[in-house]
Amino acid sequence: MITWSSFSWFALPTMLLWTLAILMIYRRQLHSEGKVSTELNVNTSSEKGNIPVHAESAKISPLYTSALLTITGILIFGTFIALMWVSLDRPPMRTMGETRLWYTFFLSVIGLIMYLKWRHHWILSFSLVVASVFIIVNLAKPEIHSKDLMPALQSVWFVPHVIAYIMSYAFLSAATIAAIILLYRKDYSDRSLISLTDNVIYIGFGLLMVGLLIGAVWAKEAWGHYWSWDPKETWAFITAAGYLMYIHIRLRENKIRRFTLWLVVFSFVLLMITWKGVNYLPSAKGSVHVYSQQD
Amino acid sequence: MNDKIKRAFWQAPWGYKESIAVVGGLSFVGLMLQLSTGNFNFTLLEYPVGLLAIVGLIVLTGLMIWRHKSPFFVWFSGVPMSVSVIGGVLFFALIMGLVPQHGDGHAHEHSPLGFDTVTRSWPFVLLYSLLMLNLSMVTARRLLNFKWRDYAFYLNHLGLLLLLIAAGIGAADLRRYVMHVQEEATEWRVFSDSGDMIELPVAIHLKDFYMEEYIPKLAIIDKKTGETYPSGNPQMWQIDTLNTKGEIMEWQIEMLEYIHEAVRNSDSTYRHVPMPGSCPAVKVRVINASTGFDRTGWICGGNFAQLYMTMELNEHLNMVMTRPEPKLYRSEVIVYTQSEKAIPASIEVNKPLKVENWFIYQYSYDSDRGKASTTSSFELVYDPWLSWVYIGLWMFIAGSVLLIWEGNKKSKISKDDHLE
Repeated sequence: MITWSSFSWFALPTMLLWTLAILMIYRRQLHSEGKVSTELNVNTSSEKGNIPVHAESAKISPLYTSALLTITGILIFGTFIALMWVSLDRPPMRTMGETRLWYTFFLSVIGLIMYLKWRHHWILSFSLVVASVFIIVNLAKPEIHSKDLMPALQSVWFVPHVIAYIMSYAFLSAATIAAIILLYRKDYSDRSLISLTDNVIYIGFGLLMVGLLIGAVWAKEAWGHYWSWDPKETWAFITAAGYLMYIHIRLRENKIRRFTLWLVVFSFVLLMITWKGVNYLPSAKGSVHVYSQQD
Repeated sequence: MNDKIKRAFWQAPWGYKESIAVVGGLSFVGLMLQLSTGNFNFTLLEYPVGLLAIVGLIVLTGLMIWRHKSPFFVWFSGVPMSVSVIGGVLFFALIMGLVPQHGDGHAHEHSPLGFDTVTRSWPFVLLYSLLMLNLSMVTARRLLNFKWRDYAFYLNHLGLLLLLIAAGIGAADLRRYVMHVQEEATEWRVFSDSGDMIELPVAIHLKDFYMEEYIPKLAIIDKKTGETYPSGNPQMWQIDTLNTKGEIMEWQIEMLEYIHEAVRNSDSTYRHVPMPGSCPAVKVRVINASTGFDRTGWICGGNFAQLYMTMELNEHLNMVMTRPEPKLYRSEVIVYTQSEKAIPASIEVNKPLKVENWFIYQYSYDSDRGKASTTSSFELVYDPWLSWVYIGLWMFIAGSVLLIWEGNKKSKISKDDHLE
């Protein structure tokens, strides 16, 4: 029987492995910095008129040692989740602390997959750092009172609903970082980073809609209606509308504009309000989605 | 956006400026209507008027198909219009998300602009209609130029259109009532929001209400204030029949005996009696090494039939048992219909019963009596549009899965397809 008291035995080795993975990346980047920039100079001078390529978006082969360290960390962390699941006899998804476990897990998994696919070093380091922040929060302020699952939450839709949302949050936060990098550079010509933003938002939005629609199917079974404009539902609707605007604007836009990038950041703020902020809004009094109240 | 030559406002071809102006104008008209006539009256859309609205939508879309090369319809079913109307709906949804909303039939201060009843306010209803119209035309335009590889587009857009129609127009035909039934009694009357008694075409006979509860927790409370300790971040210990040792702050707890359905003996001990008035009780030994506190005793949360029992830790603090949380509750019923059918069923949370066009949900029970409750409440929902909602939902879900699978590569290939 595993409980939260053994969390640090899994969390600390995971964080150690991930720190090593990040250090390995940057150690290598420091070594190869000179080489990459000369390669880039060659590229830009030989292919005149091409859009300049930023070092970060250049196709550098991923560092497999870092990937391996990341996977080992994920496996250790995943073991804790699995053991908790068995020990609680329900998916550990109810309290904030339990939700954070999944956020850490999927953020690292998705960060790794995207690192291997897109080869941006920042994706891996960013997702591992944020994943670790969630571990630290769980170590420092565990809201971990073992909560029993109330009848409305006992449903086959529970796990897919929450997992789709958490994965979507991970993708959309990666897109937000990409948009912020572009805004910070004030140069919107990095095609690789722009197509990453587009692609990640499509995937994140798809997951967001799957989570929302599964929620509607479930709500019909549990609460009698598929959509009741509960504050959490209203904010999920607002968030979806934000990303929907981005997707449609991008259909007719070759070069991305500042407004469009700010829309990504704005939509992410909406997403954060949907996830956490709703509980603090006066409009959310009596929301059926606020489960984290103390008894 | 790629226009090299600057064109004047309202000069063809129309784009974002004109779309935003139309959305803004429609919102203004909506606000004026709201000020002068109050909320939109959804009962106007009750069957069969709702069907007429759909016919109107189809006729207008047909008009677009007939004149699909006209600059007006190219603009009206184009991306700038879609983005603008989504933006407009987003704006009013933001108001809905920030201002506490009110249901129908409650006495309260109404915002003159309808900001506390957004879903029933004129601007929202008008923009929602514009969204349906634009979506219907966008979908029809893409269907004119049918390609198999656009399947994700069709699933997403048709699915959403069906959802918006069935949820929006269908809202007028939706009926939801709560019915309270006593054990061994039969009920067919409900009260509407405005307090009128309504007789329904289904009747429910409650044979038995059954409930299971989770094992409760132990907590420490301040004797004077009743606040859980430490205040702000209360610690609790889940009673566990396998892992019998735990702690709350500096108090070590050892569980000696747990009885889920306990009744108190005269000598302040407990025994197992499975009856409606029983409640959980636990015998624990509590030690505080720093103060030398060491005590063994029974703790019980109590209920409507039994007194609670606490353990005194010091002059300020008591150890208590929390109220057990419900694990499952269900009602064994017989449902009678007007067609003189008697349907025996078991209704549980997440497991509603469908009888003809009605869904019957386990809604609530007498929470003061908990598992001894002799009443059960049901929510009865009538939604003739539900099949369309489900078709739309599953089309949209399939479309979203395709988005995840394919990213944006399809839309990039076909992004200029509907530029005429």
